[in-house]
Amino acid sequence: MPPAEPVAAVPSPTDAALIAAWQGGDEQAAAELVRRHARALARFLAGAGAPEADLDDVVQETFIRAFRAVATFRGQCRFRTWLLTIGGNVLKDAHRRAKRSRVVPLGDDLRSTDGDPHERAVAAEAEGRLGEGLQQLPRLQREVFLLRAQQGLEYEEIAAALGTTPGAARVHYHHAVKRLKEHMK
Amino acid sequence: MKEDGTLPDAALQDAARRLGAGAAERLDVERTAQAVVARLREEREAPRQVWARIPASWLRIAAALVLIGGASIVARGIWPRASGVAPQVETVDLGELSPAQLREVLNSLDQPGPQEPVPAQDAGLEDLTPQQLRTLLASLEG
Repeated sequence: MPPAEPVAAVPSPTDAALIAAWQGGDEQAAAELVRRHARALARFLAGAGAPEADLDDVVQETFIRAFRAVATFRGQCRFRTWLLTIGGNVLKDAHRRAKRSRVVPLGDDLRSTDGDPHERAVAAEAEGRLGEGLQQLPRLQREVFLLRAQQGLEYEEIAAALGTTPGAARVHYHHAVKRLKEHMK
Repeated sequence: MKEDGTLPDAALQDAARRLGAGAAERLDVERTAQAVVARLREEREAPRQVWARIPASWLRIAAALVLIGGASIVARGIWPRASGVAPQVETVDLGELSPAQLREVLNSLDQPGPQEPVPAQDAGLEDLTPQQLRTLLASLEG
């Protein structure tokens, strides 16, 4: 029996290619974009204060708004970064409707069974305090902090997405860190 | 923890990276993707459905109204002064009146008319309206 020929790796389409395919009517391209970015978006939204019970709805609404406005996306930043900023707007609208701000149900993260129980408890406590502290920050500081510390983006990318300068983004980040550290003492 | 009680940056970033990770892991991404696609499909089909729901008779009426409106605009363009044309005035050939009739006419002008009073000092045949002239002629015939 002849050895099987190695399967050539098929490069996955870029976000730009998927966006173009969606604009051409390909629904599966839209589905692929959701699969690709939904978890990162969900983490960002949860970090920004979306309750887990509403997380799926907020994620869906963010993608719907993004696809409606995708013709305005000029590639000034990555699609994911643009998506996260839309998510921030969706969450703000949701909070406005609810007339109250809720923090992430961080207790759910205690379900993890990896690692030392004491370490898990300490980590969960730190996350809880961080979540509370984030809710007390101005929206711009909170989003800059999450884009930088949670999503690992560069200041240039953050600035392009939020319509500010890299220097201003850096200042927002440092103010956020200072206030969060004070809160978590 | 630092001596001043604050977290080092690395610990803060570590907590930030974990923040929301559990909730994101529990998100059913495939279900979310299908729900988004379904909503997008509904939005794309919505404009067609609106047209489909309108009865054909209403569409015909709307089309007729548009045609009438367009025709009126075109008509105004072709006859821009149609409404400004002065109505034709019935004239009286004074040459056909007898002297007595003319005197009667002049006397009648000295008196206010039964329907539309006209000041005597301003009256003249050219100043009379068709209605006044008709009244005048009727009085002459009668």
